[in-house]
Amino acid sequence: MRIGELSFGQFRARLAGEGLRVGIGPFNIRIQTQLKSLAKNLHALYAWYPLADGELAEFHAQVVPKHSLRRPLTPLIRFLVDNQAPFPPAPAAHALPTLEWGINLAIALRINHLLLFHSAAVERNGHVLLLPAWPGSGKTTLCAALMHRGYRLFSDEFGLMAPQSAQFMPIPRLMPLKNQAIDAIRKFLPEAVLGPEIHGTQKGTVAHVRPPEESIARMHEPARARWIVFPKWVPNAALQLESLPRSEAFLLLASNAFNYEMLGESAFDAVAHLVRNCECRRLVYSDFDSALAALDRLTDD
Amino acid sequence: MNHWYSVLFSSLRIENWDQEYTVFQPASGKTHFLNAMGLQILVLLDQAPLTLDTICMKLAESFSMQANTHFRQQIAVTLQRYEALGLIARTWKTPL
Repeated sequence: MRIGELSFGQFRARLAGEGLRVGIGPFNIRIQTQLKSLAKNLHALYAWYPLADGELAEFHAQVVPKHSLRRPLTPLIRFLVDNQAPFPPAPAAHALPTLEWGINLAIALRINHLLLFHSAAVERNGHVLLLPAWPGSGKTTLCAALMHRGYRLFSDEFGLMAPQSAQFMPIPRLMPLKNQAIDAIRKFLPEAVLGPEIHGTQKGTVAHVRPPEESIARMHEPARARWIVFPKWVPNAALQLESLPRSEAFLLLASNAFNYEMLGESAFDAVAHLVRNCECRRLVYSDFDSALAALDRLTDD
Repeated sequence: MNHWYSVLFSSLRIENWDQEYTVFQPASGKTHFLNAMGLQILVLLDQAPLTLDTICMKLAESFSMQANTHFRQQIAVTLQRYEALGLIARTWKTPL
């Protein structure tokens, strides 16, 4: 059963009660909150995700009210994961991005049976295109454009690789566009479903893109990577999609993975295998059309 | 004079990327990025303990370079770096 099949009343009752168990990629997450505005946003943006009733949840996330003597007139919330608060209190209006960042943080810190690249990942023609990049490189924006042009979304944030099988696991989550990227995607992809614009967060204005239904329906179909492209958005830059030496690709990937040192030799083997079996490129772009055309050519069968 | 020797060379995992190398060191869990000369130092010191002068002479021969003062200084710095990483160690006595 999918979340969208629940009425808002049923959905909110679950969130406010025992918690809503939702399957997102290889993980089940239990979410609890009594915040109506957050419930409304989640009901709309999580509509395609399956319920994970009766299944074990890897993460227990809560968004709870927080009363502050220093800010008595500002409604505040606190994000908790397994009763730990990784962030300071945030305005209640920031509940959605706080929840989404909190879940990402929990995944990044706790998952060590998979190699976690800080990377967007999409699939085309049966193979994964990995787009590793640091924040500010435009990977979420590029990923949003790709997934609305026929690529299957794995993630805008995590490349989840099983070290032994070299398979990548999809984890299609909401994609937080920031600041000018919001208008850029609204213009380029009028069909994209975006959540509300949330202003004044620690990363500026944020709006979340809902992943396509098909990407969520196929989120248990892994695939191996065939292309690794390190993207960088540079204003007014001419398109460049150039080959990257494998030694450099290895270094960039190893330093990009959240848990490379934690996994030790198995991570070294996994990155070596990945680099040997993928075409490695560096992409500089300033407009979506030329970047998408270049990536289409790269990933054509 | 110091003799340098490699530590647990056989345990290292080495991947060759067109004359550049990634080296995984199980003892530290670290990955190192070496060029051909950097790896050759480890290979030489795995074969026998050597002094700085001998290392420089052998490297200069292998890479067709002049073992001048600058070269010697660079190799000395590299040896100290490798020592700090636990890739090599030194002994004060001439080994038997």
